[in-house]
Amino acid sequence: MSVHTLHKRQPASNEAPRLEVVPNLVRDLGGITHLLTCGSVDDGKSTLIGRLLWDASDLYEDQRENVRKSGRKAAGTDLPDFSMLLDGLVAEREQGITIDIAWKYFDTPTRRFVVIDSPGHEQYTRNMASGASHADVAIVLVDARSGVKRQTKRHTAILDLVGVKHVVLAVNKMDLVGWSEDVFRKIEADFRTLCWKFNFWDATAVPLSAVFGDNVTAQSGNMPWYTGPTLIQHLEKTPSRVSEAGSVFRFPVQTVLRDGKDFRGLAGTVTSGSIKVGDEVIDTLSNASGKVVRIATMDGDIPSASAGQAVALQLDVDIDVSRGAVLSTREMLPVAAQTVEARFVWLSEDAFSPSAGYLLRTSTDLIPISNIEVKALLDLETMASRPARSCGANDIAIAKISLGRAAAIDVFTETPETGTLLLVDSVTGATMAGGIATAVSAKAEEPAEGHFVLKRDMLANGLNRDLSMSSKDREEFMRRANEVAIILRAAGIAVAIEPPPPVDDGMDPGL
Amino acid sequence: MTASPSHLDLLEAESIHIFREAAAQFRKPVMLYSIGKDSTVLLHLARKAFFPQAVPFPLLHVDTTWKFRDMIAFRDRTARELGLDLIVYTNHDGIKRGINPIDHAPSIHTDVLKTQALKQALDKYGFDAAFGGARRDEEASRAKERIFSFRAPGHRWDPRKQRPEMWNLLNGRLGTGETVRVFPMSNWTEKDVWRYILREKLDVVPLYFAAERPTIVRNGQILMQDDERLQPRDDEKVEMRKIRFRTLGDYPLTAAVESEAETIEAVVAETLNAQTSERQGRLIDHDQAGAMEKKKQEGYF
Repeated sequence: MSVHTLHKRQPASNEAPRLEVVPNLVRDLGGITHLLTCGSVDDGKSTLIGRLLWDASDLYEDQRENVRKSGRKAAGTDLPDFSMLLDGLVAEREQGITIDIAWKYFDTPTRRFVVIDSPGHEQYTRNMASGASHADVAIVLVDARSGVKRQTKRHTAILDLVGVKHVVLAVNKMDLVGWSEDVFRKIEADFRTLCWKFNFWDATAVPLSAVFGDNVTAQSGNMPWYTGPTLIQHLEKTPSRVSEAGSVFRFPVQTVLRDGKDFRGLAGTVTSGSIKVGDEVIDTLSNASGKVVRIATMDGDIPSASAGQAVALQLDVDIDVSRGAVLSTREMLPVAAQTVEARFVWLSEDAFSPSAGYLLRTSTDLIPISNIEVKALLDLETMASRPARSCGANDIAIAKISLGRAAAIDVFTETPETGTLLLVDSVTGATMAGGIATAVSAKAEEPAEGHFVLKRDMLANGLNRDLSMSSKDREEFMRRANEVAIILRAAGIAVAIEPPPPVDDGMDPGL
Repeated sequence: MTASPSHLDLLEAESIHIFREAAAQFRKPVMLYSIGKDSTVLLHLARKAFFPQAVPFPLLHVDTTWKFRDMIAFRDRTARELGLDLIVYTNHDGIKRGINPIDHAPSIHTDVLKTQALKQALDKYGFDAAFGGARRDEEASRAKERIFSFRAPGHRWDPRKQRPEMWNLLNGRLGTGETVRVFPMSNWTEKDVWRYILREKLDVVPLYFAAERPTIVRNGQILMQDDERLQPRDDEKVEMRKIRFRTLGDYPLTAAVESEAETIEAVVAETLNAQTSERQGRLIDHDQAGAMEKKKQEGYF
């Protein structure tokens, strides 16, 4: 018996429910698919998600009853208004949050779906980019009567920018164009043309009617010419980002765990690739390396770990690695970046200011920025860039950043998991922008006039004289150096932190 | 890894990631522990996140003095067996003023003994981050909640100060006077909580399982007479019923359901077939329209 029939059935009696009647739900589901829906209310977005929930999900019986009892009908029909199921998620219950994303969860018999809903109003770029950054697959909704519009182009451009690889064009309201194959094929062709310039792995168009349910979960009798999958069939087959992570091993270190005895574990989540006991890992910033002797979890040590797994790695040598480091294998190192070129979606209401003290947040590192310049703004409709010196909310900015010290960063299109960035205001802590690294360089820009270098011996003599050589104190040394740089930067002083000497020259790496 | 990770594996890994991000970025975190099933899962995830190290922050239980006795026994046993640093805080001023859930509106009781008490406790110890077990699927007003939810000075939730969260990057840099609530289980559902308890063989408070218990029916809801402070009114009487609880809180404010589910498996099966969403069993939510929204702005979870 499927989940659906169970949930649609009225609960039976006072008998103790037997577990064997719901085998499907006791087990884990086969994975999670994060689903972004883009389109305006007019395109039927809420109705489509409502229809998916109604036909394919494990809705509670009282939620179904509410829809039946309400008497609300979908416009121009005698069918229940499924968009009701999204009430409380869409703009009706505006909370005034600047970036507004609502999350909704439902299960089919094989998968967890997470619906990420962002409002379709005019300030949608930053909302959509923020929501799309979590999405495995996006449904771009268009009205069959109007087809691919300017807004569709903007939507697909944002999806591509933040790394969505699977896109479904839902051609809705096919009932209003007489279920015409010609109309659909024309829109499908336009969509194909549009997608050529992006990096999608899969772009599929599905003709449907959200109100009547055609091709949502049930094959449409009105469109026998369409032999492709229904929307839900397609979504259930779509792999998630984590299952499609690249083969290049990356492990951003979050924190160091100690058991008070001999265990020192580098804790983090494998973001791409995999690692096994015996492999050599290297920290690109210090060039220090060690062999993995143990992959620890509370459920016992495991022989290997791959993308998505949260573990703690113990190495054969006590290398000086802490939060902010990204472990990799020697063959495929991330760049110890001094300069970064990036594309940012500007999220804050406050416009870019070249003199504000910004910090760059990478996977687990927070780095003082010594200089940042906006070079250009990107037009999402044409993908053309035009020179600019500043940017504000909803802009896509191309910027060049010089870092106060090196940080491990990848180019997003090559290793997306460790190529994402946030710009953080050093005083308020606010997240100003989210972005992707498009080019990284280990070569520092020539320091500008008046550039102040925080020397390590200068820091060691006064501020850090209470610190020992232990690895914990070395972390603290770096933390204090960062904070001093941040304070100076906020005071308008361009500042760089002197890099630690390389480990293999016999000098103490921390000081 | 050979098999692809299941949805529970992925949720667990995400929660561990969040715990580690918060512990690394905040100066003095605390975990809010309310003894219920969500707290049980949250605690288990915290232990996993820092294994083999001990959980690197204390647990805080805000005790209204109206919890079920079984809850308090379970709390103390858990803390003892796992060697946890447990802080119990009660708003004694509120107790002295005679605030209680039987004579006062639930909203007043909750404000004084929960919301105010929580703020007092956070201020007293100077915690800058508090882990909570809230989930986005619980209630519509939580569907937009962040994983790192920022609070202005005075613990006020300011919608304009909430930070966008992109990819898996969690920005925990605090502004002056700001604190943060951290929700590692944001993306879990009620069903996931039960499935995980079953999978990980976690011990939960016995009140979740059906048993014969003394009850009073009031306003159509079944209440349990956990001690002599709850007495039947004129038209009421104490009767034994086979009941269990879907959520646990202050006993005069927590409605029971009649049930035969005596084992964890039966409870999970019953939950998965559930006819009503979880929060209908919690009386404070019905007290006033938009109650949850309001409580959130005031600093309640």
